Amino acid sequence: MLKLIATRALLGLVTMFAVSVLIFICTQILPGDVASAVLGQGATAETLAVFRKELGLDQPAYYRFFDWMFKALRGDLGISLTNQHVIIDELLPRFQNTLFLAGYAAVIAIPLSVGLGILAAIREGRPIDRISNILTLMTISVPEFFIGYLLIMVFSVQLGWFPSLSTVFPEMGFFERLYNTTLPALTLTMLVAAHMLRMTRTSVLSIMSSPYIEMAFLKGMTRSRVVAHHALPNAAAPIITVVALNLAYLVVGVVVVEAVFTYPGIGQLMVDAVAKRDVPVIQACGLVFSGVFVGLNTSADILAILVNPRLRHRR
Amino acid sequence: MKLFGHKPPTTAWVGLTIVGFNLLLALLGPFIAPYSESQSVGHTWDQGLIEIEIHNGFVFIWNTFGPWFGADPGDYVPTKGALILGADQIGRDMLSRLIYGARMTIGVALVTTVISFFIGITLGFAAAVLGSWVDILLSRLVDVILSIPLLIFALIILGVFGSSIPVLVLTIAFLDSTRVFRLARALGMNLTVLEYVEAARLRGEGTWWIMRREILPNASAPLFSEFGLRFCFNFLFVAALSFLGLGIQPPYADWGGMVRDNAGAISFGVLAPIWPALAISTLTVGVNLVVDWFLSIEARPSGAQAEM
Amino acid sequence: MSNTNDPSNSSLIVDRRQLMAGAAALGLSASFAEPTFAADTPKKGGTLRLGMKGGSASDSLDPSTYADSIPIAYSLAIWNGLVEIDAKGNATGELLESWEAKPGAAEWIFNVRKGVHFTSGKEFDADDAIYSINYHRGETKSPAKGLLSAITEIKKLDSHKFQITLSGGNADLPFILADYHLIGLANGTKDFTKTDGTGHYTLEAWEPGVRILLKAKKGDYWKAGRGNFDTVEIRYIDDTAARTQALITGQVDAVNRLDPKTANLVAKNPAVSVVRTKGNGNRYAFVALRDTAPFDNYDVIQGLKYGIDRQKIVDNVFSGFATVGNDHLVAPTNKYFDASLPQRAYDPDKAAFHFKKAGMTGPFDLEVSPGAFDEAVDCAQLFQESLKKAGASLNVKRVSGDGYWSNVWLKSPFCAVYWGGRPTADDTLSTTFLSTAEWNDTHWKRPEFDKLVIAARAELDDAKRKHMYSDAQKMISDDGGMICFAVADYLDGYSKKLRGGEPHARYDLNDERIAEKGWFA
Repeated sequence: MLKLIATRALLGLVTMFAVSVLIFICTQILPGDVASAVLGQGATAETLAVFRKELGLDQPAYYRFFDWMFKALRGDLGISLTNQHVIIDELLPRFQNTLFLAGYAAVIAIPLSVGLGILAAIREGRPIDRISNILTLMTISVPEFFIGYLLIMVFSVQLGWFPSLSTVFPEMGFFERLYNTTLPALTLTMLVAAHMLRMTRTSVLSIMSSPYIEMAFLKGMTRSRVVAHHALPNAAAPIITVVALNLAYLVVGVVVVEAVFTYPGIGQLMVDAVAKRDVPVIQACGLVFSGVFVGLNTSADILAILVNPRLRHRR
Repeated sequence: MKLFGHKPPTTAWVGLTIVGFNLLLALLGPFIAPYSESQSVGHTWDQGLIEIEIHNGFVFIWNTFGPWFGADPGDYVPTKGALILGADQIGRDMLSRLIYGARMTIGVALVTTVISFFIGITLGFAAAVLGSWVDILLSRLVDVILSIPLLIFALIILGVFGSSIPVLVLTIAFLDSTRVFRLARALGMNLTVLEYVEAARLRGEGTWWIMRREILPNASAPLFSEFGLRFCFNFLFVAALSFLGLGIQPPYADWGGMVRDNAGAISFGVLAPIWPALAISTLTVGVNLVVDWFLSIEARPSGAQAEM
Repeated sequence: MSNTNDPSNSSLIVDRRQLMAGAAALGLSASFAEPTFAADTPKKGGTLRLGMKGGSASDSLDPSTYADSIPIAYSLAIWNGLVEIDAKGNATGELLESWEAKPGAAEWIFNVRKGVHFTSGKEFDADDAIYSINYHRGETKSPAKGLLSAITEIKKLDSHKFQITLSGGNADLPFILADYHLIGLANGTKDFTKTDGTGHYTLEAWEPGVRILLKAKKGDYWKAGRGNFDTVEIRYIDDTAARTQALITGQVDAVNRLDPKTANLVAKNPAVSVVRTKGNGNRYAFVALRDTAPFDNYDVIQGLKYGIDRQKIVDNVFSGFATVGNDHLVAPTNKYFDASLPQRAYDPDKAAFHFKKAGMTGPFDLEVSPGAFDEAVDCAQLFQESLKKAGASLNVKRVSGDGYWSNVWLKSPFCAVYWGGRPTADDTLSTTFLSTAEWNDTHWKRPEFDKLVIAARAELDDAKRKHMYSDAQKMISDDGGMICFAVADYLDGYSKKLRGGEPHARYDLNDERIAEKGWFA
């Protein structure tokens, strides 16, 4: 097992390196650079040349990449090209914000959807199954910004329970943050709950047709005991995969929700950086994103192996 | 009445009706829409027959002839709704755009999802069955693709291949297939270690045969469920990419894009964005009710699944 | 001599006053605003919370990178401009207290205001002023460089007086020095991570893309009645619906750039007022390259200009919060605006006639993007519809907003563009329509037009000058490749508690100076 984890960690680093290279290549393919993006409509050939020289963009691309990489390996992500900020100082608080919001949403969404999914499987065809099913389906079929607007209209404008701006600042305490981010967390919960709920329900139900489940029923076990003790462990792998995919989404895919609630997360930073072609910032965000994906996917794989006895002792 | 040899329950009938109705709209759209999808026949967000008014957290629903509940007729003089569902952000008939939009929305989402599942399942099972370096290579490749932010990806595609509906379809199919891959692989992993797969292997069956005849039938339930969802996610994905400049071009209507274009109105109780959102929701629920019915046929604790 | 706040100015200053004299009558109206602002006397105290669009996480304090509303707003709170534009559009003294032009308008003497101090305690003097201008000259990336290219020499005369020499006469120099990039820097400033300005506020928290927190300095501000807040917080709220909701729920006191479609609905809220500055916002246009087929054909251009239903766009896209454009960029509020030039209206028959004459009915490709301006796609769709009646067809291609200005604009034969208002007629015409202009986005090159504009620049006889500008507008409107169909209004939203949010002749949020000019009732 230890060997497996070590191999995976190593592969993860290789993946992150590949992502860095790819993102760098992409930024080079994209037309326009930071100089023309910052100066925008105000760019002339002359001012562009000066700006590029100022930023070191007259160096060849491979040189800039390796320069960046060796510094990154030493933990130095460099400074932003647009406003000369130390990137790590800008990135870390935003990443923490993103993790805070993702964590908040996950704490509500995962127990809720996996629990409801199991319940729905136990009570297949009963009202609780139908209602949870249709409600969650309706929430995912609405675009995320629209759910956000609806929640704001009801809970912020009409009822005045929660603020519509969820901006958090360093000086805020834990509970104030929690209060401020309730609406975006609810929005995200509604976005990811259906997927996990349905996968849980389906996976459990698909195991229910296996011979050993029939055996368990024949032994006279109740449906809920069969589900909990026999079906669930064997249905875990797809559930874990889907939970991991949704967790990853909560971290890297929330830029729209960030915009609607004006939440200072990493998504908006990335979008701004892409728009301005601020390559070091894009690279730093890319590292974070790939780290999250690799980490979550690897954990999901390992967890799936751990819960399935057959996979544990494969060949 | 029996369908495919089974008697569908009420929910399945609801689902089938919704799906059928939408297919009909997609096929007959231009013949039944009252106006063209591009013509501006009214003003921004003209009221339709149904209106809502919000007071202190209470929602009042109105139609042209008066309030449905929460009555205080002196309070509100409804405008005669010339367009049944009102007008969109530049005065086009909402109903006509919804009808026209069915074809584009459903067509694009269906094709993308089918392609994405074909790619995702094939590669996912291959990774699971073949294991070792194939698995490592494909899994890491997927990690890499998932890690590249959608925005950058879309921009690159746009820069290299330009913007057209086939490009949009293939882009979504490709990106979506990475998620299908993760699921297919996880399912395949569980199944490859089962006795009957081992037996097939020992019999000397080829990889393709094992994937098709042993893994696929036994993984079909979760995959089918996933299909129902991904199909609906793709409505919204299309709209997101269109907004970035990739794909469906104006004035063609797609439901996700219609929600986006009218979204600002909802904060003031204007119903314009509700209609396309409702269209997507209904279809989503409909498709998944049908999917659930198929699943329930299969998932009976009967042990008869292997026949499939 | 001439203090610009003194009515007995030199003739030139009076000219400049007249230049914008018609502004109030013509264009500025606070259609929803309470007319009580002026009666109040400013009160001190409170925290002003602004919810703004027009900035990003990559904003910087370096004035050579400013390009949008938020940087302008925070820079004017921390620093001061060299010249201020007043509500009616006159150039008035700020850090440069007064000025005087020698005959011919090629040599100018500027008097630096005395008794204005930086946060560091140093007094602002001629060296600082000269540095502030020179920062945007020579080897620099500053977008203001082009504006200042006519300056040949800046000479210090004494500690509070300097002289600017131009390569040719330009009566508009004070307006040029009012450009938002030109803020009063301390001599030698290169490091903008530490701010040292003459404005009333100091930087308390710098989180671009999230918020900018500013605190008032101790003591009185050097401008009487201004700088009334204890604290100013600028929140970045990019999403228009979110910004509007924040105002309605009282989480911010003022917002910029309300959506014209919902402005009427916002104005119904009793706690909020909407302030509208008419006719001075962005000019929205489609531009065709006049040297590229089929747009090199005069009749095609005529067909397109008659085939666009401007009024419908103004009504249905901007909900009436805009005025129809007449294909040139000179503002109706400008003194040199030619009111006698007939407004081009939608005429499908005339358009069809021209298309027929040209032997072309399309389809013409038009590239638009929300990156050009938010409403571009909607405007293009209405254009497409109105052309149908003229028998012509238009392919609307929605392209990515990313890199729009470097990839599409100036390159695509037919695309969407917006132009901000510019303070003078010369600036407006020279930047966009001269053959040599970098941003000639129609590739419309007419030597007779160039000659006219350059001659008008140094023409001191106002009647003659007006005549020349009138001819110039006619030429563009008729033959140019720009279809300028709408001039938007600025729409600001204010809490009723906040005072000082008047319409302004230049920018929204009272020239982005609400932090300096406003107060709580």
